Amino acid sequence: MQSLEQQLNNLPKTGVMIYEGESCAVSELLKKAGEIRQQNPQLRQRDIAIGYTNLAEFVTALIAFDGWCSAIYLCPPKVPTPQKELIKWPLSADVVVDNSIRKPLDPISSDVLQTTWYMATSGTTGQPKWFAHSFSSLSISTKHSQKLQALCWALLYQPFRFAGLQVVLQALLSCADLVDAADYEPLALMARLKHHKVTAISATPSLWRQLLMTGQLAETNLKHITLGGEIADQSVLAKLSRLFPKAKLRHIYASTETGVGLVVSDGLAGFPAQWLGDSSLPVVLKVSDKQHLLVKPSFHVCHSLTAQTDKQGYVDTQDTVEIKDNRVLFMGRSTGTINVGGNKVHPEKVEQVLLQCPDINQAKVYAKKSALMGALVVADITIIDNDDQQQVKQQVLKICKNQLQRFEIPTKINVVNDIAHDPSGKINRKSNGKQQHD
Amino acid sequence: MNLEQQIKQAMQQVAELSDCTLVEPIEPNTLLLECGLDSLGYAMLVAQLEEDLGFDPFTELEIDIYPSTFTEFLAIYQQCANNQ
Repeated sequence: MQSLEQQLNNLPKTGVMIYEGESCAVSELLKKAGEIRQQNPQLRQRDIAIGYTNLAEFVTALIAFDGWCSAIYLCPPKVPTPQKELIKWPLSADVVVDNSIRKPLDPISSDVLQTTWYMATSGTTGQPKWFAHSFSSLSISTKHSQKLQALCWALLYQPFRFAGLQVVLQALLSCADLVDAADYEPLALMARLKHHKVTAISATPSLWRQLLMTGQLAETNLKHITLGGEIADQSVLAKLSRLFPKAKLRHIYASTETGVGLVVSDGLAGFPAQWLGDSSLPVVLKVSDKQHLLVKPSFHVCHSLTAQTDKQGYVDTQDTVEIKDNRVLFMGRSTGTINVGGNKVHPEKVEQVLLQCPDINQAKVYAKKSALMGALVVADITIIDNDDQQQVKQQVLKICKNQLQRFEIPTKINVVNDIAHDPSGKINRKSNGKQQHD
Repeated sequence: MNLEQQIKQAMQQVAELSDCTLVEPIEPNTLLLECGLDSLGYAMLVAQLEEDLGFDPFTELEIDIYPSTFTEFLAIYQQCANNQ
């Protein structure tokens, strides 16, 4: 098993990272990573929480610590780290590393450790859940070739998230260039893509629709088009295929929890039904009686998924699928999680916030299909005094704006007579029929 | 109220709901992405117009090219209204 650094050392050093008006060659990052390890021998075999400063420093830390530390946590800003002893990277000047908790040192200090990579995903209660991966599991689908080496990737996702890390690793391990273009508004993003002559993009279908709305996408020379993070519908795939008939068009189904990524490259929504049960694939796929997609990867999945794993080793992804015309089509999350343009929204969390409004009796949050964003968040509420509808709506919106992220705030609040519950007293999430007052 | 006025009114509603400020005035050639609404705002606008008008052209029509300007956006709604 090779570490990220060892793999990079065996590849051509042609890649360049472009970020915040600067650029840095990958060969430079490799050098800096070596210096970090030399200057910080106390970090060997420790658990490190990598905070995000900029793309080059983030990648340098990955190169430095994979194979050197026991675990690395890729920490999104403002997300609390797990309740355990972690060293925060970059080190602050006043931090003293407590050596008393150091694990026994490996006798052969040059040995490459099997570093566990932890990534956060938003949990139902708003608390992050951490899932364990490894460099080998994360880079299972990355490739290197002369053609891939000539590409210039744009990073449109945050690199500490699963989809973003996939782009970073793909660019690094194919020796291609990588332009940090995360968090730009569509027109500014378009200008950046054109300026840097980007030829490869991975983005959510919602972001692709926004790029199509700029009317300028045809001015780029895209050779690699990837869609991921939410369900790719036939309409957006067809539009991109028409605009770039020679480009490689792929859509990816990925699950942060299992670390699984499926790549579909035939330009059609979903994936071929023949893939089900095909043991020659890196991940064996099955559909359960409940119409959930089950996956059995060739690598070990995070132990926290034991409850979702059956005796044969299949993990329930909680994604609902439908088989139609020999295609397996994704229908959404069985947990009720709403995907707004690639952002996960947990209905329970939003309901808790709505219920803080003293005039609301009951609240139910669910998805409304949107051709532009995949889904939008909608809420049904019952209120104590029906004469105050407008006032309550304004009040609840104010509470939401204070406590929720923009994509989590219900785009529509319906005042209804009643909210259906199942016999156990839980909200019936299967029926979304509203019986509106207004 | 004609269709153009209905769309502009819905844009105003969505802008207020999302704490966005619309540009004044919105001309036929104003770029949608420069009107003051972001992508979530447009998705909300389409949902709002579906409630007001009873149709969603982005779901019902096979749209070859996404609208870039206000005129193109209006034309898509006009086309869908004519088909109803």
